[in-house]
Amino acid sequence: MPLKIEITLFPLFEEPDVDHQKRLEALEAYDILDTTPEPEFDDIVLVATAVCKTPVALVSLVELGRQWFKARIGFEACETPIGQSVCAHALGRPETLIIPDLTADARTRSNTLVTQDPHIRFYAGAPLITPGGIIIGTLCVIDTEIRPAGLDDIQKKALEALARQVVLLLEARRVSRRKDELFRRQKSIASTIRTSAIKTLAAQEAGRIGTFEVDIATGNVKVSPEFCRIFGLAHADAYPAATIEAMVVPEDQGRQSNTLSRRTGDAEADVEYRIATPDRGIRWIGRHATFERDAHGKPARMLGTVQDITNQKRSIARTAALLDLGDRLRDLDDIEAMALVASDLMAKALDASRAGFGIVDLPSESVMMQPEWCAPGVESLAGLHHFRSYGTFIDDLKEGVTVIVTDVLADPRTAQNAKALLDIGIRVLINLPIFDHGKFSLVVFVHHSKPHEWSEEELAFIRSVGNRIQGALTRLQAERNQDLLNHEIGHRLKNTFAMIQAIASQTLRPVAERDHVLNFEKRLQALSTAHDTLLARNWMGADVSALVSSSIDLLGLADRFDVSGPAFSFGPRSSLSLSLLIHELATNALKYGALSTPAGRVSVDWSIDGEGDHATFRFGWREQGGPPVQQPERRGFGSRLINMGLSGTGGVVASYQHSGYSVEMTAIVFQLQHAK
Amino acid sequence: MGQSTPLDIGIVLVVEDEPLLRMMAVDLVESAGFVAVEAANADEAVQILETRTDIRIVFTDIDMPGSIDGMMLAAAVRDRWPPIEIIITSGHRLVKDLDLPAGSVFFPKPYDTAKVTATLHRMARH
Repeated sequence: MPLKIEITLFPLFEEPDVDHQKRLEALEAYDILDTTPEPEFDDIVLVATAVCKTPVALVSLVELGRQWFKARIGFEACETPIGQSVCAHALGRPETLIIPDLTADARTRSNTLVTQDPHIRFYAGAPLITPGGIIIGTLCVIDTEIRPAGLDDIQKKALEALARQVVLLLEARRVSRRKDELFRRQKSIASTIRTSAIKTLAAQEAGRIGTFEVDIATGNVKVSPEFCRIFGLAHADAYPAATIEAMVVPEDQGRQSNTLSRRTGDAEADVEYRIATPDRGIRWIGRHATFERDAHGKPARMLGTVQDITNQKRSIARTAALLDLGDRLRDLDDIEAMALVASDLMAKALDASRAGFGIVDLPSESVMMQPEWCAPGVESLAGLHHFRSYGTFIDDLKEGVTVIVTDVLADPRTAQNAKALLDIGIRVLINLPIFDHGKFSLVVFVHHSKPHEWSEEELAFIRSVGNRIQGALTRLQAERNQDLLNHEIGHRLKNTFAMIQAIASQTLRPVAERDHVLNFEKRLQALSTAHDTLLARNWMGADVSALVSSSIDLLGLADRFDVSGPAFSFGPRSSLSLSLLIHELATNALKYGALSTPAGRVSVDWSIDGEGDHATFRFGWREQGGPPVQQPERRGFGSRLINMGLSGTGGVVASYQHSGYSVEMTAIVFQLQHAK
Repeated sequence: MGQSTPLDIGIVLVVEDEPLLRMMAVDLVESAGFVAVEAANADEAVQILETRTDIRIVFTDIDMPGSIDGMMLAAAVRDRWPPIEIIITSGHRLVKDLDLPAGSVFFPKPYDTAKVTATLHRMARH
């Protein structure tokens, strides 16, 4: 019903003090209108019909122009226009409205639900009163028989009690939604805090500086608390230099100072090296030091600072790795080579102990691990492994989710199988699933034998590596499909050429001048050969020397030609033109020119003059050692084709000298390469 | 060409599934002075070869429906009927990708009728 009617129906509300606005706001707050049925409310109307012995019961909520039923029994429509609402008359008072005979009541006798089908006769509605005292609708029971006695006392009380239950349900519903909302907000706040905490921590770490002082004579090192923290050492005032030196990883041994270089004062002032900490894995240290010398100028003490530069180092390594990955993936055309490159780069960027990839067999949920990159002293895992022996993370891999287990002891996916993982030196596990043709077929892995502190940037890096591999793979597949399609088209085209030849030879059978028929056939072959050359490069174009030699080979005359010119690529259209041109030139030479005598030769050469937009391509054809030539009188198809030149617009200078025919053709390079 | 009287210098078995192309090949063979026998696929060709002893040359396409293709037919001919000469043609394959039986000759489609004719004549002289 249009809005107009709703407004004119307002006088139906006899009670002047009904506060429409408040009722609408209260309904809004419950966010209940037009929601799907809920069993709690359905139960209430069921009980109401049973108690009041009526065929119909409704939870009716009265909105602006309609009443909408959250629950209903014995009544088909889920809402009615406000004009049909009896409940609207119950909104003004906090008491139950009972109308024993709707046909007798002035308020309802003209109501269409009364005058027409379903011909309702009896109504009793208990108001739904919110805790704020606002009546938002009723729980009502309806009968099609007049009930002079109305409801008995117990029925009326039961109806009112049920109405209160409806409001309680509405309240509970609202509170629980509010809780969900709060929970959601809390979660998002927590994650924001976490992110900012990680960032702050990284910043602090970068800023924190430990200090030390080596007594060169004794090798005793006085250290600051921050020094201990950076090196992961128990808090102490001093450590022997040897203890600290031994923490440097084998690959970086020699970068740090030692007893000798400190005594001579040759130790470098600024060095960077990695140390193996007990709890925080491999860390990068930047160390800066100066010497204090005694009265004789001999180094007595080495004073300096240390800083944890792991994050800077890794950030640089990650950026380099991503750039490197992009370059290397571009040149690879095999999925395993891609996986190998990715694992190698990840191992280095993440200071891993082991990295590589495995070929997945989905039915058996096993993986054949390929020979991988291992840090010194770490054992290879090459061979067959079953995913389930190490946890449940294969379920995530199958979904295409990158699995990052920061600690196998704590992650629910691996906790049960942690021993199996620790036994093969895996404390931290990264598995990157790679999908080939939509199937989980490879897994790139990175392992750390010691706990590794993860930054958001590192996690983003791993995901980025995964995306890049997947992207490269998609490109590869698209290229393969394109190749396949091109070959298919090529083959069909060749077939079409063969059919044209067959049709022509059938059609032209009665033609007495067989030369014309043969010429046609040969031109068709020249065109077909040019297509072969184009097909070899996927229709991207063809190299001039390839076009020249395939055209000459077709005529079996390769040994009579001298061909020279720089590598230069024609677009597809110009490739076809050039092949036809060479065919015509060679056919003419064979009939009238240099190739008509045993000694004659043809030299073909080309060059590019100028640069950029103005660059021109020059093609020369010179015949020598043939009979004296004359300009032909009649211009056949062949000579007309030749006069059209390389790009179909001329640029052709032919000369009929006594020594032999020659022709020079020029065209704009851009046109030759870009004409489609 | 023009001369439609077969010189009866031999019988050529033309194997080609595409009727139009087979028609053209038959014309070519007959114009060259041979008698042509037609087969629409390699299986049919084998049946013909098993029942007749007068086939001199097999002129076959490669990609055809049936249990064997032209390449397998050529190999079978070389194996079972060594004296028969073989000409293979295809629009789909490049000669460099093929493992041609000894003594056979390949022509890419669309082929040069003059060259095919010359080859037929050369083979017939052997």
